[in-house]
Amino acid sequence: MDQTALLFLVLVAMVVVFTVINPIFFSSAVFANILQDWGPIVLMATAQTLVIVSGGIDLSVGAALGLSGVVSALAMRELTASGQSAWSAMLLGVLVAGAVGLAVGLVNGVLINRVKLVPFIATLCTMGAALGLSLVLTGGTPVAGGPAGSIQFSSKTYLGMFTVPIIVVTVIVVAAGLYLHKTRFGRWTYAIGSNQFAARGAGINVESHLYKIYALSGLLSGLAGMFVYLRLGSGSASSGVGQELSAIAAAVIGGTSLLGGVGRLAGTVIGAFIITGVLSGLIIIGVQANWQRVVIAALIAVAVGAQGLSNESLRAK
Amino acid sequence: MTAVPMLELRGVDKSFGPVHVLSSVDFTARAGEVTALVGDNGAGKTTLVKCIGGIHPVDAGELIFQGTARSVRGPRDAALLGVEIVYQDLALADNLDIVENMFLGREVLTRLRTLDENSMEKLAEQALASLSVRTVRSVRQHVVSLSGGQRQTVAIAKSVLWKSKVVILDEPTAALGVAQTEQVLDLVRRLAGQGVAVILVSHNMNDVMKVADSIGVLFLGRMAAQVRRKDVTQTQVVELITAGRSGELGLSPAESSGAAV
Ligand SMILES: Nc1ncnc2c1ncn2[C@@H]1O[C@H](COP(=O)(O)OP(=O)(O)OP(=O)(O)O)[C@@H](O)[C@H]1O
Ligand SMILES: [Mg+2]
Repeated sequence: MDQTALLFLVLVAMVVVFTVINPIFFSSAVFANILQDWGPIVLMATAQTLVIVSGGIDLSVGAALGLSGVVSALAMRELTASGQSAWSAMLLGVLVAGAVGLAVGLVNGVLINRVKLVPFIATLCTMGAALGLSLVLTGGTPVAGGPAGSIQFSSKTYLGMFTVPIIVVTVIVVAAGLYLHKTRFGRWTYAIGSNQFAARGAGINVESHLYKIYALSGLLSGLAGMFVYLRLGSGSASSGVGQELSAIAAAVIGGTSLLGGVGRLAGTVIGAFIITGVLSGLIIIGVQANWQRVVIAALIAVAVGAQGLSNESLRAK
Repeated sequence: MTAVPMLELRGVDKSFGPVHVLSSVDFTARAGEVTALVGDNGAGKTTLVKCIGGIHPVDAGELIFQGTARSVRGPRDAALLGVEIVYQDLALADNLDIVENMFLGREVLTRLRTLDENSMEKLAEQALASLSVRTVRSVRQHVVSLSGGQRQTVAIAKSVLWKSKVVILDEPTAALGVAQTEQVLDLVRRLAGQGVAVILVSHNMNDVMKVADSIGVLFLGRMAAQVRRKDVTQTQVVELITAGRSGELGLSPAESSGAAV
């Protein structure tokens, strides 16, 4: 059966199970909440999918989210203090968050292409540095004092569950999907993740492509930072801690292979729903929130394990 | 025979630091012919191929394409001159299908700059059909699921697609069984039949004697001789490979005594 359809069935089964245990789960309020959790996760998971398909990994997405949220919060606070309107402050916030994320991604690109670090180590370094920097900038306290009404703006729902940020995220993810599956950029991403030698032989500039991939990953994580800011009304260094785990989980549950060259963005989107749905569902059925990371880690293990088994059966064909 | 050769090398020298790998090599490949390049392990065949492909710049000597000396400073220069090198294993991306591999780096786009999958699929099928390939069932098959011979077929068909003028095959049959070797050799002949200058690097004397029109023998980095296939026996070629000379043919006794460094 088609893998995307299978994933969708898993998602439906999950909804059914949680609803049977606690019928409250099946409500537009809960769905709206899951969607709000899904927004930043799916942005980072989309970034992660691009990177993993290219044969790498980006551990810095969560830290990039945190740093972008903090820096754009500081910028918005300044602008608001100088008497500018909430709209111009939020516009600036989006630009700053995107730029900070982009910068983190470019640092990853430099470490990978110039310093020749493997992606795992390169992004581990930027993850530490970005988190550290956000703590230095804030002293660990959340940065509020931004545009008034940002929470109201971002949480106002249409059709019961869709907010403006969620609609924007959906547009971004669809665009990323088209980019990955319908363009030369996407094709080359798969080729590089599948066989770098063949990609080079075909005249593809692998280094410049990897710069674009990691820059894009940073940009998407930066926008996730703005999303979280709008939701909470403040930027905090800790807001991205551990989020890379959820992003990687969504991608691999969605069928992206950590070996590179394999993955569909539709799978990642459903994977992100499964992650956020499970986390909300566990809280609703009364499981203590601290179990969340354990559950995500277990989901990664199961997904990668299942991929490994199906790969083996492919090789033994 | 009288026409200008597609590719001619004159006095090509190549050293890696102190190691003198190619000394004053002359070599000719003609359109519509299969030119074999043979020689013992370490004779310099792969190095010569990489010089033609622009991967190693030559230290001295000329690369002449269709009568004009050209400087080949990188793989891109070589590609622009119509040179395609088919490597044994590394040339294809496993997770991409046949069409995707054949068009990698040169994808056909629609007016909206998206991938034009239908056009690419059709062109790929045409290229395979022009070589009478019947061993490939679907051009949407992923390369990971292909046999060695089918992979070689895809790589060769790619050069048809791109209207390459010089196609170099480095040991295309080394890992293949009897039937698959036959298929690939057939393909090599058909490729030459389309007017391509095919250069076949091989250790397999049977293959070489079967498909080559001309045979160049490298011995310790020197071109011992380039002979017409019909003028020599397999024994003579083997002597040229192992001793650098065979009767009248090949290097002088002094040259072949081994002091090639
Ligand atoms: N990059 C390099 N640096 C130094 N020496 C090299 C390099 N590449 C090849 N050589 C040397 O050049 C000589 C010729 O090598 P080459 O690979 O061209 O031989 P070949 O004829 O293709 O051999 P085989 O039949 O084993 O493939 C060998 O002695 C090899 O060690
Ligand atoms: Mg060799």
